Amino acid sequence: MFIYEKKLQFPVNIRNTNTKLANFIISQYGGPDGEMGASMRYLSQRFSMKDDNAKALLTDIGNEELAHLEIVGAVVHQLTKNATTAEIENSPFATYFIDHGKGVWPTSAAGQPFNAMSFAVKGDPITDLTEDLAAEQKARTTYDNILRVSSDPDVNRVMTYLRQREINHFQRFGELLNRIQCSK
Amino acid sequence: MNRNASGRESLLKKIQETDFALYETTLYLDTHPNDEKALALHKEYANASMELKQKYQSLFGPLTPAANTENTWEWVHGPWPWEM
Repeated sequence: MFIYEKKLQFPVNIRNTNTKLANFIISQYGGPDGEMGASMRYLSQRFSMKDDNAKALLTDIGNEELAHLEIVGAVVHQLTKNATTAEIENSPFATYFIDHGKGVWPTSAAGQPFNAMSFAVKGDPITDLTEDLAAEQKARTTYDNILRVSSDPDVNRVMTYLRQREINHFQRFGELLNRIQCSK
Repeated sequence: MNRNASGRESLLKKIQETDFALYETTLYLDTHPNDEKALALHKEYANASMELKQKYQSLFGPLTPAANTENTWEWVHGPWPWEM
């Protein structure tokens, strides 16, 4: 089961409103390589893992991805909460705003709603762990793309932290895959 | 209990730092379960985290519903994490 702890894993203190940037960052909430898909991928893959270390790692990384989902949601919320109508209507956030207001809803930056087809569960440990390695790199690349278009230091310190976590997870999944392949 | 008292943010940051280290040892131990140095570090961070959270909760309110042992329901009170 899961117990909520009333804190973010990494502090989010965004001072400046930026609806355009929020419209990009929402992709890491519900986009194809976002944190919602990441958490669902690992927490769902656990059930068909045979190795106890794999069950543990998928549980722990899946759980951390939920914490990252909350961080991304906090960033989007803080970037948009004080936005005026004038700031919204001439930004790419306007179309999102019409459907969702200032709520946080899982979608990609291009406006596609969260789709479970953005992650896989095949019931084969080697197949699933190989997918996980690619998924971590795709998420890392998406954070790189966000960092290319963002110049807000309050946002970038959070994006840099999340980007680094993808690299750590990639490392741990690689070790796990080696461990399972060597034990055969 | 003063949820907006000074010191809350810096104590919360210490908890976040300690829990980050604890999460790192957790993931590392999942793939290196026999690493004695990592196990010792994990124990050290776990104890530090527990002490910091006890102190935080006595001053600024519960971090989980189960930690609400006061005679009033403090759990609902903000600021919530995304508002801090």
